[in-house]
Amino acid sequence: MSIRIALAGNPNSGKTTMFNALTGSSERVGNWAGVTVDSKQSLVKKRYTNGLDVVAVDLPGAYSMSAYTSEESITSTYVRENNPDVIINIVDSTNLSRSLFFTTQLLELGVPVVVALNKVDVNEKKQTIIDIPQLSRLLNCPVVETISTVSKGLELLISTAVSLLGTKKTSPYEQASMDGEDKDAMIEADKDRFDFVNDIVRRVETKRPRIDNNLQDKIDAILTNRWVGIPIFALVMFLVFGISQAWLGPWLADLLAGWLEAGQSLVADALAGSSGQLDIWSSILVDGIIGGLIAVVGFLPLVMVMYFLIALLEDCGYMSRASVILDPIFKKVGLSGKSIIPFIIGTGCAVPGVMACRTIRDDKERKATAMLTPFMPCGAKLPVIALFAGVFFGDSPWVGTIMYFVGIAIIILGALLVKLITGVKNKKSYFIIELPEYKSPSLLGACKSMLSRGWAYIVKAGTVILVCNFVVHLMQTFDWSFQVVGEGAESTSILATIASPIAYIIAPFIGVVAWQMAAATVTGFIAKENLVGTLAVCYGVTNFINVDDMILESGASEVAAIFAITKVAGLAFLAFNLFSPPCFAAIGAMSAEIKDKRWFWAGIGMQFSIGYAVAFLIYFVGTLITGGVFGEIWMPILGWIILLGIVAVYTILILKNRVKKVG
Amino acid sequence: MTLFDADILTKYTVDSIRTEDEGIDTFLFSLGCYEGEPIEVVSRNKNGCIVAIKDSRYSIDLDLARAISVR
Repeated sequence: MSIRIALAGNPNSGKTTMFNALTGSSERVGNWAGVTVDSKQSLVKKRYTNGLDVVAVDLPGAYSMSAYTSEESITSTYVRENNPDVIINIVDSTNLSRSLFFTTQLLELGVPVVVALNKVDVNEKKQTIIDIPQLSRLLNCPVVETISTVSKGLELLISTAVSLLGTKKTSPYEQASMDGEDKDAMIEADKDRFDFVNDIVRRVETKRPRIDNNLQDKIDAILTNRWVGIPIFALVMFLVFGISQAWLGPWLADLLAGWLEAGQSLVADALAGSSGQLDIWSSILVDGIIGGLIAVVGFLPLVMVMYFLIALLEDCGYMSRASVILDPIFKKVGLSGKSIIPFIIGTGCAVPGVMACRTIRDDKERKATAMLTPFMPCGAKLPVIALFAGVFFGDSPWVGTIMYFVGIAIIILGALLVKLITGVKNKKSYFIIELPEYKSPSLLGACKSMLSRGWAYIVKAGTVILVCNFVVHLMQTFDWSFQVVGEGAESTSILATIASPIAYIIAPFIGVVAWQMAAATVTGFIAKENLVGTLAVCYGVTNFINVDDMILESGASEVAAIFAITKVAGLAFLAFNLFSPPCFAAIGAMSAEIKDKRWFWAGIGMQFSIGYAVAFLIYFVGTLITGGVFGEIWMPILGWIILLGIVAVYTILILKNRVKKVG
Repeated sequence: MTLFDADILTKYTVDSIRTEDEGIDTFLFSLGCYEGEPIEVVSRNKNGCIVAIKDSRYSIDLDLARAISVR
């Protein structure tokens, strides 16, 4: 039998960091409330446990046992129902009184508790002294000093926890039993509890009179100022995209692509043998499987640099300031700063982003946020952005930054539509968010996060995407009578015939009927990275990174020529794929979080219509400005019909709501 | 007076909280923001203010600032 230890504590007390240190996992860490929304468990490393089997359970942060949001109720429910053997209560030693309130509640549950007094290094810096033996005596439970960021004190913590197995201690504070219905009595009881806690804090904590951390406050005043804050936010995002997609990322990718291609030609040479010609199956292997894989893996450095930078941002405390400046904007359209957390997590991956919506208490706001989160360009869309930025716009960092802000603009527009269609909220939505102290971000933590995400990317490329590339290559090699498609007859392949109807639908914003593009859009729903793989397979291009060096022909303009679409069309096609529904995994998460069929389908419909409208408008306006042609005459006509149809549907829905309100 | 009108960098005591939203009341309570407890406005701008409760900083919006009476 293994020993189960639950980690519980306030948000931002360092629980997940400790969980990762104990178990060697790399769960997402960030210093704002709501990063962990689900409980996770894993075996504790043997070197901390003296050979015993110990399972640690990471629970979401809770301020107290009375659940404020559902993430906090996970903690209370878990502790009540699963009877962990021991609870490790992680206490933020820099905010003792708030943390101990929860501690006294945990102590009443009858499960042995060890207090991990975390962040003692920060306290040392502030010259705050905590009398640990006294604290332990007053709480009647062991207290161990820890610094979870550098894995200090963990061995002692676990051995203390194990030594408590099966023991029973009396709680230092017992709430008088009372009628649960009587709200005033409950409040009074909680106040008594706080008095008890405040008394403990007075007795154990010696603080140096606070040297006003004025600098922190001054930085906050600037970063949360609405005129300065937004440009700073824009600049930060521009730097993230610039470094990952235009400067450092492509440079690293270039190195990697060289090695990968050398490997590919080695395989090709080996298979071709003396004849120098590849047979059909070898060609499927070399061009279909390996080529598609290289095209996707080639973007790995860009993705990893981006994850590294985002991990740094999350760790230093900037993200909660960013949500403060966006709050008033989101509030105007019926959301609040609370929605920003899912959106920001969504820039990594929409699935955990959508799951983070659980922390939003207002039902309508939660559903709207869940359907809007996938509009943020996620990590999987990054290679797609990088591909089009490289092929059509010379690796400009503006493409990524603009797509990011178009994403935010679409979210605001989408929220406005939801508000207009479902009616204005009558309830006030208050906003409060903790501003954690700034700290220099942990490079080690960011590296870990980058490596684990990078590994996940490789695994995905080697499984789902590999299979998709293989299937796509087979389908384009053979026609319906399973004959190899001849040169010049590519449009008779299985893939071409299946994708053609979709090619007509997207033609209004590409300017040509291209089944290759349609096929890429479709495989993109399985995983967005597939867009890159499928385009690589269909067009026979493998290195999208440094197209100027392409041995094939003469560079970026050549790849653009292979795609046979204009710059504007490239941008429109990119926008459509970024802002139409996300991959199936994210759609599944949306369905699970929204829990309402009508809202869910309305969300999917909205994603399709907004994606289509944005793409067509980009193409139409862009083509007018650049003075190009719109392709065949039916294309803009079809585009306008669809666009006006979308506008008509939304107008009717909005008017219906108006009528309902008046009537 | 409410936090909305409070002077910055001055110690006040929470008098009452009227949000008509039980969830947020409980939440504020668990942060240590309730009747009789100290609170301080660190800075403010057009959209809200930053307050110090116990040892932490929080950003709150104007609606919430208006709902917290202090003396």
